[in-house]
Amino acid sequence: MGKKNFRSIFIGNKRGSRIYKETRIKDPDYISDIPVYTDVKPIGYRYGKEYRVIPEMIPDIIVPDLTDCPLKPYVSYRANVAVQEEFTAKTLFSFVYEEKIKKDFANQKLDASSLPLEPSDAESLSSETAYLEARKTGSDIFSERIPRHWECLELKSDK
Amino acid sequence: MKITDSLSCILKRVGKLTKQYSNLPDSYIKRTAEQVEYTAPKMIQYLPYQRKRRTQDFRFTTNRPWTQEFKRENEGLPRSEVFIEPIKDWSIFRGDRVEILVGRDKGKHGIVSQIFEERNWVIVNGMNWYYRRIGESDDYPGTIIRQELPLLVTTEVSLVDPSDNKITKVVWRYTEDGEKVRVSSRTGRIIPVPAAANETYDYKVKSAYLEGDKDTKSDVVEKVTFQPELKTFDMDVMKSMGIEEDRTPKKSYWY
Repeated sequence: MGKKNFRSIFIGNKRGSRIYKETRIKDPDYISDIPVYTDVKPIGYRYGKEYRVIPEMIPDIIVPDLTDCPLKPYVSYRANVAVQEEFTAKTLFSFVYEEKIKKDFANQKLDASSLPLEPSDAESLSSETAYLEARKTGSDIFSERIPRHWECLELKSDK
Repeated sequence: MKITDSLSCILKRVGKLTKQYSNLPDSYIKRTAEQVEYTAPKMIQYLPYQRKRRTQDFRFTTNRPWTQEFKRENEGLPRSEVFIEPIKDWSIFRGDRVEILVGRDKGKHGIVSQIFEERNWVIVNGMNWYYRRIGESDDYPGTIIRQELPLLVTTEVSLVDPSDNKITKVVWRYTEDGEKVRVSSRTGRIIPVPAAANETYDYKVKSAYLEGDKDTKSDVVEKVTFQPELKTFDMDVMKSMGIEEDRTPKKSYWY
């Protein structure tokens, strides 16, 4: 074939359908030294000469039903896109619990040790139930890595 | 919008007003204006490398940088460099009344219709024109039209003070409310920025924009639908899908 400056040869986009790649390989100008890389993930394995397809490996793209969906790909210029503040643990607390505890304190519904006299569902949770809930589906204690004690020294303080 | 390439990026040379009027994203302007000759494949053996036309070899014209005409004008051997006076505070906007100081239309007033910040040019509507033929072919002589030529903002054009309709130099000052305004250095009167300055290709005023099929309506966008709940992501998904967990995990012991 001779010496060629492969860097200056414009191969082009290496993506394409399987049929396109096959026709390219059969093309007389195809340079066999530079392979046709595919970005497609395999859907099976080669066993000798044949290729065995595993149905579970074929990607299943799930698209929700978008009829009557008001959300579209673009945003109208008319919309006033406001900047929202950061959603911190403090904001979550004020949304979820702040009101109740303020009301209880104002109406003297807290006993001597500051425990509520009329507890809500979340307040009347016992330690055993909490222990079990943390091990059921829906808990996230197993997904996150527990930071080592030396990593907790640089915790950001919530102002 | 981040300009990711550090030094050699044509995007840095494109004027702010050009981008504002076009409503095009930076990535599009960069992709279309840049003339990349060769990009190294994104494989582990190759270092990231791009061979493209140097930013200093581009000459900006009255054709916008993302157009095909601009590409044709910036092909082949680079032309000699055009020296552009750097202007610190750009003071002339679309819709401004200006007086022309040179040429056939010297002394006449006109309204600015286009701005080319990269060349310090403005096009004043109906002024400084020349005759031109378009659609010429072998048997058809073509239609004669008038085409405006650009005028330099620094020397050939000057803003007009609305109070006395005479030319004036302009400085930027702050009002008591903190608003940045143009003040005529001769009379001291504020020259307000015209409404046409905030126009874009898609709308004259944002509230007058006609929403298309693929646009999410503004009331849908502005609606706050987020309800904070004391739930983990998994719990939220379970709630929306109606998954109930009624199994009890077995107790484990430490000895």
